[in-house]
Amino acid sequence: MDKTDPTRQTKTRTKKESLSREERQKQLEFQNEAVAHLNALYNYALHLTMNPSDAEDLVQETYLKAYRFFNSFERGTNCKAWLFKILKNNYINRFRKNSKEPGKVDYDLIKDFYHTIKDTRSDTSESENDYFHSLLHEEVYQALHSLPEEFREVIQLCDIEGFTYEEIANMVESPIGTVRSRLYRGRKLLRAQLEGYANKYGFNNNDQ
Amino acid sequence: MNCKKAGMLISASVDGELSPSEEQEFLLHLVECKECRIEFDDAKKTKMIIQEKIIQFKAPDALIVSIMQLSGFNTKEHEETLLYE
Ligand SMILES: [Zn+2]
Repeated sequence: MDKTDPTRQTKTRTKKESLSREERQKQLEFQNEAVAHLNALYNYALHLTMNPSDAEDLVQETYLKAYRFFNSFERGTNCKAWLFKILKNNYINRFRKNSKEPGKVDYDLIKDFYHTIKDTRSDTSESENDYFHSLLHEEVYQALHSLPEEFREVIQLCDIEGFTYEEIANMVESPIGTVRSRLYRGRKLLRAQLEGYANKYGFNNNDQ
Repeated sequence: MNCKKAGMLISASVDGELSPSEEQEFLLHLVECKECRIEFDDAKKTKMIIQEKIIQFKAPDALIVSIMQLSGFNTKEHEETLLYE
């Protein structure tokens, strides 16, 4: 008797339509929010995997998961931070578990990266004779990658991606105080590395 | 504020993560302590170098396309469902 009830049919139909509208709304929102951070995620994945095709896989997997769980994303919070966290978890699950030698730097790969792009960024002229400005991109990259991962990670998230300490603390699952001190120590280590390069060019940083 | 405490605040100050009162105390220390001032400048410069010299790559087109499809695919499916209903 239920089957022939016309009222019921209408109800079902309305429900379906509104569901799909909701679904479409979700897709639009997802596209606007998530796709805006694609480049940042790809670069982070590159830093983690040091391999373009692994990076692509990782980003793809991240978006798949993000799309599936988009409902659990807290509106009004930083979507980029949410996506980074998913990517990081994916990376740990997928690559770290059966990794050969984590943290090993493939210098050839780095050189390849940097040689495929022209240096379009002109060095700022604010301090022309600053020895830091003579550093090459790949040297800075190598210096960054020579740091222990816990330091490199926070520097990347803070300086390159511009996350707040609170967001970083959440991502690396450590207290804010730890983030603070890792940044402090990480920058000191990095500084020492960079000075090594600078000295190689005969710059004397004691005049600074 | 002593140098030890100031040292702990250097990075946070560089990143604009200090509370106004912490910041003020910290800056007061910098005015009177050359060593911490140098450390502060170094940290700031290190951050700047990273921002300036680490190149951001553009995601490959194929990746962009596949992710757009990911969030667009279901839309079409739904439209079709509605059409054939
Ligand atoms: Zn001091």
